[in-house]
Parts: sequence; structure tokens; C-alpha cells
Amino acid sequence: MIRESLIQTAAIAVIILTLHSAAATQTRMPQIQFSDRTLKNGLRVIGAPDHSSPTVSIQVWYHVGSKDDPNQRSGFAHLFEHMMFKSTRNMKSEMMDRLTEDVGGFNNAFTSDDVTVYYEVVPSNYLETLIWAEADRLAGLNVDDTNFKSERDVVKEEYRESVLAPPYGRFEFLLQQRSYLAHPYMRPTIGSIEDLDAASLKDVQDFHATYYRPDNATLVVVGDFDPKQLDAWVDKYFGPIAKPDRVLPRVGIKEPARKGEVRLTEYGINDLPSVGLTFLTPGQSDADTDALDVAQAILGVGESSRLYHALVYEQQLVAEVAARADSREDASLFLVSAVLSEGKKPADAERSILAEIKRLQDVPVSAAELDKAKNQLITNGLRERETSDGKALALGEAAVLLGDPKRANTDLARLQSVSAADVQRVMRKYFTEANRLVLYYLPEASRTGNLHRDRTRKEVN
Amino acid sequence: MTTVRLATIMAIIVLLALVVAAQTQTTPPLPSTPRSVSFPKPIERTLPNGLRVIVVERHNTPLVSAMLVIKNGGEVDPLELAGVSDLTANLLTKGTTTRSATRIAQEVEGLGGLLDSGAQWDSSRVSVGVMSEKIGPAMSILADVARQPTFKNDEIERLRQQYIDSLTLALDEPGSIARFVGTKVLYGDGPYGHPISGTLESLKRISRSDILKIHRLFYRPDNAILLIGGDINSTAGFSLATRFFGGWLKPRTPVPTLSAANKATDQRTGRVVVIDKPDAGQAAVFLIRRGIDRKDSDYYRGIVTNSVLNGYSGRLNQEIRIKRGLSYGAGSSLDARRNVGPFVAVAQTKNESGAEVADLLKSEVERLSSAPPADAELTPRKAVLIGDFSRNLETVNGLVSRISSLALHGLSLDEINRYIDNVQRITAADVQRFANMKLDAKSSDIIIVGNSKAFLPDLQKRYANVEVIPFAELDLNTRLLKKKQVQ
Repeated sequence: MIRESLIQTAAIAVIILTLHSAAATQTRMPQIQFSDRTLKNGLRVIGAPDHSSPTVSIQVWYHVGSKDDPNQRSGFAHLFEHMMFKSTRNMKSEMMDRLTEDVGGFNNAFTSDDVTVYYEVVPSNYLETLIWAEADRLAGLNVDDTNFKSERDVVKEEYRESVLAPPYGRFEFLLQQRSYLAHPYMRPTIGSIEDLDAASLKDVQDFHATYYRPDNATLVVVGDFDPKQLDAWVDKYFGPIAKPDRVLPRVGIKEPARKGEVRLTEYGINDLPSVGLTFLTPGQSDADTDALDVAQAILGVGESSRLYHALVYEQQLVAEVAARADSREDASLFLVSAVLSEGKKPADAERSILAEIKRLQDVPVSAAELDKAKNQLITNGLRERETSDGKALALGEAAVLLGDPKRANTDLARLQSVSAADVQRVMRKYFTEANRLVLYYLPEASRTGNLHRDRTRKEVN
Repeated sequence: MTTVRLATIMAIIVLLALVVAAQTQTTPPLPSTPRSVSFPKPIERTLPNGLRVIVVERHNTPLVSAMLVIKNGGEVDPLELAGVSDLTANLLTKGTTTRSATRIAQEVEGLGGLLDSGAQWDSSRVSVGVMSEKIGPAMSILADVARQPTFKNDEIERLRQQYIDSLTLALDEPGSIARFVGTKVLYGDGPYGHPISGTLESLKRISRSDILKIHRLFYRPDNAILLIGGDINSTAGFSLATRFFGGWLKPRTPVPTLSAANKATDQRTGRVVVIDKPDAGQAAVFLIRRGIDRKDSDYYRGIVTNSVLNGYSGRLNQEIRIKRGLSYGAGSSLDARRNVGPFVAVAQTKNESGAEVADLLKSEVERLSSAPPADAELTPRKAVLIGDFSRNLETVNGLVSRISSLALHGLSLDEINRYIDNVQRITAADVQRFANMKLDAKSSDIIIVGNSKAFLPDLQKRYANVEVIPFAELDLNTRLLKKKQVQ
């Protein structure tokens, strides 16, 4: 916030002062005040009161994701997520929508590789109703075959809409699928039509019994509520749900280090070729994650980022370019992808991307560029936390995937301590030839009879 | 009628809740008393050069957004120069008399900020969002790019190529093709009849002088609104506005008025257009017709009516996704612009279901005019609108853009504090009346983009007037949609 005392002086003074402080300031990061407790049945409950608007955000994080899809059932964790909106012990199908959408709130859910998250934002006077509803669908599902089949069709349309219809949908899909050799992360979250067709109602009940248990769940509540009342409601509705005796299965497979470059070529419905590179990086709780996030900002965030400036602006090789540190619990990916401009060659785009990577490995980043990256990451963090569901997402991710909700408050500050040497070190450590996968995704029309398919060096090791 | 049935169940559940108490609770607990909402009050002033400045304070997050709105956009594009307004707005940030494109990006991003510009149909906008302590330097850049862009040739060529590439990407996607085709069918050569970012042909025609002309005619303080919102005190906001925009000269010439030709043509009888794209992984189905303009006295009736159709539990998604599993999502929009904007109902589905989904879109729009919705259906649909509205205003960007739209259309800024009442007042009879008067399904156009082999026979059984255009022959520059045969 701009301070009153500054504003009282002449406008010119305001500008000079702010210009001078532009590079060096350490922004005051609003801290999220929260409580953290665990019920006897293992449910972790995180609450953060915030009375700035009369709404409340409720999220339940289940520590199960597409990496836990049953054998031959890729896409199941996500299909299951859809089933959680069908009937439960005490709720009819779609009743969650009646309790949220119909009162001016909303609900949704997402499935990632590692977690499945159900969330609602409602007027704050409906908090007890939603605590009851979330407890009810944790306690038991009551889905019938008609519901199951129609929802499975919805998921198949979701597959078509995200993978088949967009020109680069399959490119993204393949980039993830081919980037892992052993870990179940090789199965894209959306799954495959065949595996979805093979899924049965029994799979739904089994999956619920295996993973939807209080000791595998974290409830996060942020917004306009009274903490004592929240505690009482949570005890009343979630407290009686028993913790099963069975062991909770966990994926134990470790992704092996890559031992040589992998090059792939695939063909699709796209008009313009695209190029994707992935580098295997450690799980997101690793200490190198901060420096990789800063590297992502330097390479790919904004028009002054190195990749945009070089490939889109200067060389006009590509229509778009993206760099993404895609953090996952067990083994992450750093992805760089580009869609080529009309008439440009994939090999030229690849060469330019690698040149930018090499530059970041060879020459330490300047203080101004480092500061810029941190300012971008911090401003994005502030934007994400403007709303109660944004704050709840930050707390949930820190609690479930990083093991400590306090990291929602400390991680943005920790970014400040990343040095130019840290960035150079992680660039040298992970962006090696042996740790690289390169995928060319070319228009089907470019495949001609006399060209053999360049798929020969797939999975060399 | 799922919604009605469930609402009845809810009423029974509520009664039961009073009876059953301590036991394991089988029914949802009742809500407590709702808390009231009020939104920040915008404060405004007009500078001597005619620039209207609006400041809205909210201090819960250290962020500020500033936005300059020029009161004209894609609507003023000459037909053969479709996309020129958007290109002009986008070029603002690509170089000024004091900063190169590279330097602008470096400076803004060095502040951690986002600088964005582009045209909508009725306005062109450039905005910047930063941490509040960096708003001074951010405003200096905002003023520079709006007032002193240079439109250098190499920047024009670079951006032109990017537009062509993005359009090429969009022309691979059934959903965006259907939208382009739908607007051409509805508006023809009228002001909203082209893709706002141009066609492959028009983009190649736009010259530097066309761009300079747009900037000279419309970018002037007396045709603009400056909004500053978020964690900033209003005194500071006005002094920044004066410092950076006070010296912007108002030309002696009057602000150009839009010609009478800038009116949407009347709705024609419904066309059924199929764009055959054999490699499409899914079919996009569109129903499009004239809707309303923003100052229509039926505006609130219109948005409530649309809400009955749209949204997760709206009728379209109920019928198409929830009951039949035919789509990942179906919905509708009523885009109220300065002139009459389009009403659109849309879904993507597997190619085989293209005709069935077209029928469902149409019959749901028709059903609105045949009977009023029950109150048990209407009340929650109004709650959806009110909830979306309130949540949208929770972010600084949402707050600023909502107020900018009221300001643009010359509506009272206080309307943000009347929105909820205005929505609540709409009755079931209003909805039916609106649907009857403004959403006739029979005169709507239907567009399907997909692999036509999979749905054409089915569609031809339902409609006698199906036009099939192979994607390779599609021309977005003419209402006929077909390229002229040149041998």
C-alpha cells in the first residue's frame, strides 16, 4: 500500500521515490493466519478466517491422483472424481450443485497426478451445510449403473475436447506420456478411451474404499467463519467417520535417471509443426524447486523472457513458446514447447531453445533480471491469493504435497533468497543432453511416402 | 425437470431437518442468517482535457490495476481492414517515442507487472497491474504507450505474422471456426461480422497508415476513461492521473460519431451451415441469433433468461451433459454490446451426435418461450448470477473491469450496488416474455463444424436447408462463406 505521507508530497516526489525503490524493495507479503489440527481418525483440518467478503471456501484434498489409477484403468482417478458428484448415502445425484450453485456459490473438482481436490465457494451462512455434504461423500457413495455410464460418456467427451479436438491436444498428451519410463506419471490423467470403457461400477466402490478415508484427506476452510463453530461442525460431521484398518497403498516406483537423449517424431492434425523438450527434475519438495521456478520465469514468463524475446520477437521462428516447471510429488518435468511460425523448421527452433538454455548455464543472470523474475513470481502469488479459494489452494498444496501448510507463507519469501549462482547450478545440473527428451509434432500432411518415420531412437536405454 | 423435482426434495429435507436432530444426520443442515454485501464506491473526476478518471479503493491485497479505455473497438474496422483496431491496440506496447518494445517489456516485467492491450468490440484497452508500491512507474509506462506509440514497420510486420499464426491455430479448432462462421452468418458485412483479430486476407491488407488513422481518430482524452483500482488512496490515484495524462492534448476536431450503417442488420431466416472438416476430433455445434444491446431496458430480463439456460445446472448442460452424457459442457451467452450483440448457445460433442445436439440446443431455447420457469428453478438461477457477480468483484481486476464496462456504456457506476436487486426483481413471466420477444429459435442460425459424414444424413432429415461447405473452401470474408471458384 502506498503510504499517506508519501502521497501528501508533490506528485513528482512520489514518482521519483517509487522509481528509485522499484528494483530493491522487498514487498510486504500478507501472511495467511491459519489453524492446523488432526482429528482422531486422521483427518487434517486447516482453517483460515478472513472476513473481507461474506463467502467461504471449502476444499477437501485427497492424496490420490492419476498415478494411483488401477492397473489397466488409466484415467480412473479422474473418472472417479466425476462420480463423487453422483449419489452418496444421503444425497441424490447432483445435490452438491443444489447446495452450492443454487445458493449463489459454485463447486468443482480437479484431478492431478498426485491429488484429487473437491472445492466449493458458498455464501458464508452455508458453511455447515457444506461440511455436512463433504463428510457425507467421504462416508460413502451410492452410485448406480445408469449414472456411472452416462458420466463415463461425459469423461469421454472431455477426452475428445481436450486431446482430440485441439490441434495440439495430442502433442501435450504425448509429451507427458513419453517423458516417463517407469513411473505411473507416464499415464496421462485423462486416460484412454479403451481403459475408460473397461471401467466398471465395482471399480468405483473399490477405489472409494481404498483411497477415500479420513487419514488420506485434508479439509481446508478459508473465509468468513467463526473458528470455534468450524471445529464443532467438523467434529460433528467428520468425527464419526472411521479410519479403516487396511494399509493405504502408495506408489513406490522410482523414475530412473535418464541415460541418453530421446528423440521422437509424431504426426497430428496441426497445420504448424511444434517442438517439445522435457527434462526430468526432482520431486517438488526438493530444495532445487525454488531455483527451477526462477529459471522458468527467466526463460518463459512475459515478453521480456529469454525464450519469447529470442524465438518470438528477434528470430520470429515460433508463434508461441512456453517454459513450465511442472512440479509433481515424486519426479517433476521441466517442459519447453513451441509452435512454429509459418514456413519455419523445427530443427531451427530446437537449436534456438538449446542456445538460450546454454546461455543460462554459461553466464550468471544479472541482478536486475533475477529481481525481475522474483517480482513476477511474487506478484503472481499475490494475485492467486486475492480470493479465499486461492488462499485455500495455497494452504492445501503446501499441506498435502509439501507436508507443511506453513510453506504457503514461507515459500514466496524463500524465492527471494535464490541467487544467480543457484540458477546457474540447477541449469547445469538438469538441462543436460542425457536428461533431454525432444518431440517433434508435425502435420500429418507433411508425412510423405518416401520419408521413413523418424521414430527409430525411441527409448534408447 | 430434474431441477424442480430436486427442489421439492430439498423443501422436504429442510422440514425433516427440524425434526431429526442429534442422530447421524441424513439431511443437510439449514443455512444461518446471510451476511450482507456492499461493494466499494468508485469516485470520479474529469480532467480539463476531457479524460474521465475513476478511482476505486480496496486495500486487502497490495495490488493495483490501472486501465485506459478508448471508447471504440473492432466495431469501427472498415470491412476490408478487419482486425485493424485490435492490431492498433496491441501495437501500443510495441514501442513509443521514448521506449522500444523490448524496453517496455523489460521495465514492466521488472516491476513484476502485467501490461496488456487489445480491442473488444466497443472499446480498446490498455491496462497494467502491479504490486501497489510500483504503481508510479507502471502508470508512467501506461501513459507512454497510450499517448506516444510509434507503430514502427518492423513491429507491425512482426505482429501481423503473429496474428496470422494465431488465426491459423484457431482455424484448426472446430469451436473457433464455428464462432467465426456464426458471426459472419449473423452480421454479414455489419460492424460485428468479422473475426475481431481479422481474417487471413484482411490482415495482409492493413497498412501503417490505416493503423495511424485509427490511433489519430479515436485515441484522445475526450474519448477515453482511465480507471485505477485496488490498494491505492483516491488522492494518490487522481494525482497520478493528472501527472501522466493531464498533458494529453484534446484535438480541436470533434470526436468521430459512428455512421448509421453501424447497425446490425435484422435477423434473417435461420441458415443451417455445416463446415465439413473430416479430421475434426469432435464437432462444435452453435446456435446464434441477435440478442440485445447493453442499454436495452430488457438487459436484466435478458441475463436472467440466459442464466436459466447457461451454467453447470442450466437447462442446456442439464439436458446435454448431465442427462445424456453428450458433451463435456454446454452453455449459452448473451453478449450485450453498444449495438445488438449475439445470443449464442453452444456445445462440443462427438461427431456422431452433431445433429442431435443441434436439436437439443434449439428445443431448449424454444422451451423458454413456451412456458415460464417455475420459481423453484428461477430462484437458484438468479442466485448463480448474483454469486458470480459478487465473486468477480473480489479481485481488483474484476472490480476495475466491471466498473469500466458501466462507464463505457454511460451507465451509473452505482449500478454495481443495485445489480443484486435488479436481478432479484425479474419474474418467471419476465423470462418467458423476453424469450418470446428476443430469442426466437426458429429464426436462429445453426452452425456445425466437424466431420460431416458422421452427422449429415441425420441433420438433413431434420432440416431441409442444410448448406455444406468443405473447410478448404471456407471464406470468412463473405456471408456466402465460400471462396469464389478461380480457375
